[in-house]
Amino acid sequence: MDDLEKFIKDNRPLFDEHKADRAKIWEHIESQIDTPKSHRFWRSPLLKIAATILIIISGGSLYKFSTVYDFNQTQQNNAVYHELHDIDRYYKSLVSFQVQLVKNNQKLQPEDKKEFLSFMDELDTEYDLLKLEMAKNLNNEYILEAIINNYKKRIELIENLLKQVNNSKKMNSNEDYIL
Amino acid sequence: MKTNILYTHKDLVEQSKSGDRNSQYRLYELYVDSMYNVSMRILNVKEDAEDIVQDSFVDAFKNLTSFRYESTFGSWLKRIVINKSINHLKRKRIPLVPIEHHEYHIHEEINDPVIAYDVHKVKTGIKKLPIGYRQIINLYLIEGYDHIEIAEILEITVSTSKSQYHRAKKKLIKIINTP
Repeated sequence: MDDLEKFIKDNRPLFDEHKADRAKIWEHIESQIDTPKSHRFWRSPLLKIAATILIIISGGSLYKFSTVYDFNQTQQNNAVYHELHDIDRYYKSLVSFQVQLVKNNQKLQPEDKKEFLSFMDELDTEYDLLKLEMAKNLNNEYILEAIINNYKKRIELIENLLKQVNNSKKMNSNEDYIL
Repeated sequence: MKTNILYTHKDLVEQSKSGDRNSQYRLYELYVDSMYNVSMRILNVKEDAEDIVQDSFVDAFKNLTSFRYESTFGSWLKRIVINKSINHLKRKRIPLVPIEHHEYHIHEEINDPVIAYDVHKVKTGIKKLPIGYRQIINLYLIEGYDHIEIAEILEITVSTSKSQYHRAKKKLIKIINTP
């Protein structure tokens, strides 16, 4: 060890000259290590029902969908963003498929179709806004929750529509029986 | 004795593993300044260093269960900070090691003695070094890594690390000696 090396080693603490902005950094850390509330949502009975419907309709698996919220991984923000992007794509194609199904369905009343599609449009607008917010502030739990709620509403909407279709089928069959 | 050092802040680490926010904050308080200084020495930009420190703590807390006291908590955390900081530079395509004549280095002794040992002069001298030299000097002299570890961190060979360190030190002494 030469003189310079020895000098630096002996004076090592003096080379830490900066003070971190503790409060600011901690605030960001805390917001990211909070357990996302979305975990609780995935356990809800409503989701189980909705997920079953989705599985039947799409025939696909929800693998991607569930892993996105596995925040235990040491993923960078951009990795999370890509995962979210995958979900977005998955949902977008699923929803557009649903909308197409509704449009093509002969058994549904035009008013019902119109109502359903206008709800979907509203949710689309909300969803686009949330996506923009998400890009700006990826770690915001509230935005994430809002996006999940947006998904939830879509699922409910599809559920309601399916119920309506089923009810009308029942009514038709009852009528047939009476006749 | 060695074991005792490895188990520094064991209680805090263990409580943090189980998600105790107070213990996490106490660990944060203990290490935030030194980690911020580590990152500042590499990045030299306040905002970037803050982001890196924040990400590193988040990763550390989320992956604390994988920490098994093979090193101290501090050196485990420091390695995360250093890797993230170096990756940040790589993303910005900043060359980490000067590319001039690695293979033709000469192990010459440095004959210029440092005129006066002055922490301020040494710190200023390090800052004036080209970025590649600065990284090697920081990692070896300030952070205390050996050439095998530096080779691993910077993804270079051990001999490149050694030769660049010698060149960097020579340059540093020259800068310090310049009135």
